[in-house]
Amino acid sequence: MIEVNGKQVEWEEGITVEKLLKKMNYTFPKIVVRVDGKVIEKSDWEEHHIPDQSVVQAHHLIAGG
Amino acid sequence: MAKSIEDMRKSRRALASYDYDQAEVEKGYTGKTLYINISDNTIKSKNVTEQMKDIFIGGKGFGLWYLWNGVKPETRWNDPENEIVISSGPIGGITQYPGSGKSLVVTLSPLTNSVMDSNVGGFFGPYLKFSGWDALEIQGKAEKDIVIFIDGDKGKITIEEVDIDPTASHLVSEQLTELLAENEKDKKNISIVSSGSGGENTNIGILNFSFYDLRRKVARMKQAGRGGIGTVFRDKKIAALAVKFSNLSGRSNNPADPSKIAKTGVKITREINKFDDEQFRMRQIGTANLMTPMNDYDLLPVHNFKYGSHPDAAGLSSDTLRDRFTQNMPDGCWVGCALSCCKAVDNFELKTGPFKGEKVLVDGPEYENAAGLGANCGIFDANYVIEANFYCDTYGIDTISTGTIIAFAMECYENGIINKEITGGLELTFGNADAAMELIHQMGQGKGFGKIASQGVRRMKKIFAEEYDADPAFLQDIGMENKGLEYSQYQAKESLAQQGGYAMTNKGPQHDEAWLIFMDMVNNQLPTFEKKAEALHYFPMFRTWFGLQGLCKLPWNDIVPEGNAQTDSPEKIPEHVQNYVDIFNAVTGKKIDQDEMIRQSERVYNFQRIFNLRLGFGTREHDASPYRALGPVTEEEYESRSERYDKQLKEDLGIDPTEMSITDKIKEMRKYREGRYETLMDVVYERRGWTKNGIPKLEKIKELGIDFPEVVDVVKKNL
Repeated sequence: MIEVNGKQVEWEEGITVEKLLKKMNYTFPKIVVRVDGKVIEKSDWEEHHIPDQSVVQAHHLIAGG
Repeated sequence: MAKSIEDMRKSRRALASYDYDQAEVEKGYTGKTLYINISDNTIKSKNVTEQMKDIFIGGKGFGLWYLWNGVKPETRWNDPENEIVISSGPIGGITQYPGSGKSLVVTLSPLTNSVMDSNVGGFFGPYLKFSGWDALEIQGKAEKDIVIFIDGDKGKITIEEVDIDPTASHLVSEQLTELLAENEKDKKNISIVSSGSGGENTNIGILNFSFYDLRRKVARMKQAGRGGIGTVFRDKKIAALAVKFSNLSGRSNNPADPSKIAKTGVKITREINKFDDEQFRMRQIGTANLMTPMNDYDLLPVHNFKYGSHPDAAGLSSDTLRDRFTQNMPDGCWVGCALSCCKAVDNFELKTGPFKGEKVLVDGPEYENAAGLGANCGIFDANYVIEANFYCDTYGIDTISTGTIIAFAMECYENGIINKEITGGLELTFGNADAAMELIHQMGQGKGFGKIASQGVRRMKKIFAEEYDADPAFLQDIGMENKGLEYSQYQAKESLAQQGGYAMTNKGPQHDEAWLIFMDMVNNQLPTFEKKAEALHYFPMFRTWFGLQGLCKLPWNDIVPEGNAQTDSPEKIPEHVQNYVDIFNAVTGKKIDQDEMIRQSERVYNFQRIFNLRLGFGTREHDASPYRALGPVTEEEYESRSERYDKQLKEDLGIDPTEMSITDKIKEMRKYREGRYETLMDVVYERRGWTKNGIPKLEKIKELGIDFPEVVDVVKKNL
């Protein structure tokens, strides 16, 4: 399992940041992703593998119209 | 309507005039307010005191202060002593930083019977200031329709009768601009404020503030939309306000440190140019960029806020609307705004109403219009939304309230509370665009069922209960208003913090105080009541600040700077917060920091709360929320997201839902959610320095320095 924004989510072999965001249906264009406290730049999302037991924060930067 | 501009020119008859020496702008202020009483045609100059600048700053702060002094506790919105105050703010009018041309309008509202404020673009506020006036304070009521002209070039004010038809706002803007301009280029020096027939026929009248688009050669309009300010305007028999100022320059605001402003402006303009296309695409779609993500995250209001998404939402997706907007145009509503989000549909051929067959420019649709007029009414047709947007603007009615009102009427219709006999034949089912359009025309023109709908959701509930035997409790649950103001267009059921962000507000459920849905519901950054309360303190205070300065909120967080992710609080966009502190200091020569910035807002925010109290509101009972905003009211709502709700019953309440009836599930869920909302109120009030009844404590107002005797007196009477 991994923790995503405080909620338990099933870990999958080979899951990357990009795949996780897709799985969560996080389509918003401005998301700050931290894996175990470290910011993962958007350019690295496709390649960055998330280890099991990780704590992921995917913070959407939006404060409405 | 005048037959020609020449006829209009000949018809002008001055009722009063006033010559003045234009005060120089000094560090963002002229130090003068223009007071006009249209009952007796008094026109005079009032001094802006240092105390006003220190405590109320400008914009909404000035509006509240003048209104406080102009009205009595028993004053109602349509009494002559009610005022309309328009003020930009010390930063308002700079051209180097995006979003710096806003005006704030303050009055007593026909919807809430309390204080209303609304923030609007267009050129009026900056031109008013550069014509010599930090604020315009209008009191009284005219006998016949009048136009107030402010000639900032010549230093002359006139109150005039003019042969102009005030019923269609886009024509009023066009015609008065034509009347005052010496040539085509001169039109950019003019701004008109008008309402429309909706201001006469509804409680949701708006003010349109014009700005001339030199490339399109048309007077475009931005709206002070919330709370029926246009209704007050037309009740006073004001057909229009007009200002002319021809000498705008980058130095018109005469700041203390122009180079600091220029540097800060260059920095953010570079960010916009570099990142906007990959971030929010404000320059392509404006705020309508939110349509797709809101649907994706189950936050788009659908069918009177029952649901948060819809299978047909693609009909109003961000990209669908982008394709309707003319691209690569300088769409800023004030000079120098690189964010340029004020999108428009050009050459739109109207299919209905008094302008049927004409090709017009439509300002918008913005997110709220598409979400409210479209999705919330179950209509996912861009042509409908564009046409509805046009007519709401030119009739002068609030698109947000209109959307919520029609959605409410549709739910009542589908529940048999109202029927064709009552609606005059309108089949108000969700998704019926023809019926919705007809209702908009009826509201704007004061006809048929439109006369009921145009009174707003709060009065509709009363009428439906008293005259059509509807269940008042059900109407209370589904009628999306708080304090008498209709909700703006976000689904807040799964965000407790946003439920407070809507209902624990000064003017009612408009999202300009706090928008915390993602922080709370998706990011889970506010897991405790204390964290939610902290956000419901910080963000309303921070966002109030824009309205004191003449600023737009959008360039704060609709563009995100490089390196923001590495900061301690990315959601606050710390670099941009510091930009604002720097600009304020560079304009005024003062030396505030980020803490003092929040204190500036706190003074005004608490003053507004006490103003509500003085008028008989401003206590806990007025912060109550309709249950539709907190949770599922009906079985179909519960069933539509039963997996989510059953899980919550199990995990959050410790109840096994397996054998429960749906009625019992709804009942348990409601008890839980309403209990949490009550707890949130306790914690938020504590954080804001208020009593359990939501009244600012005496020590709080003393600490803030707003302990004027009359303010203390109001608080003491209510403790």
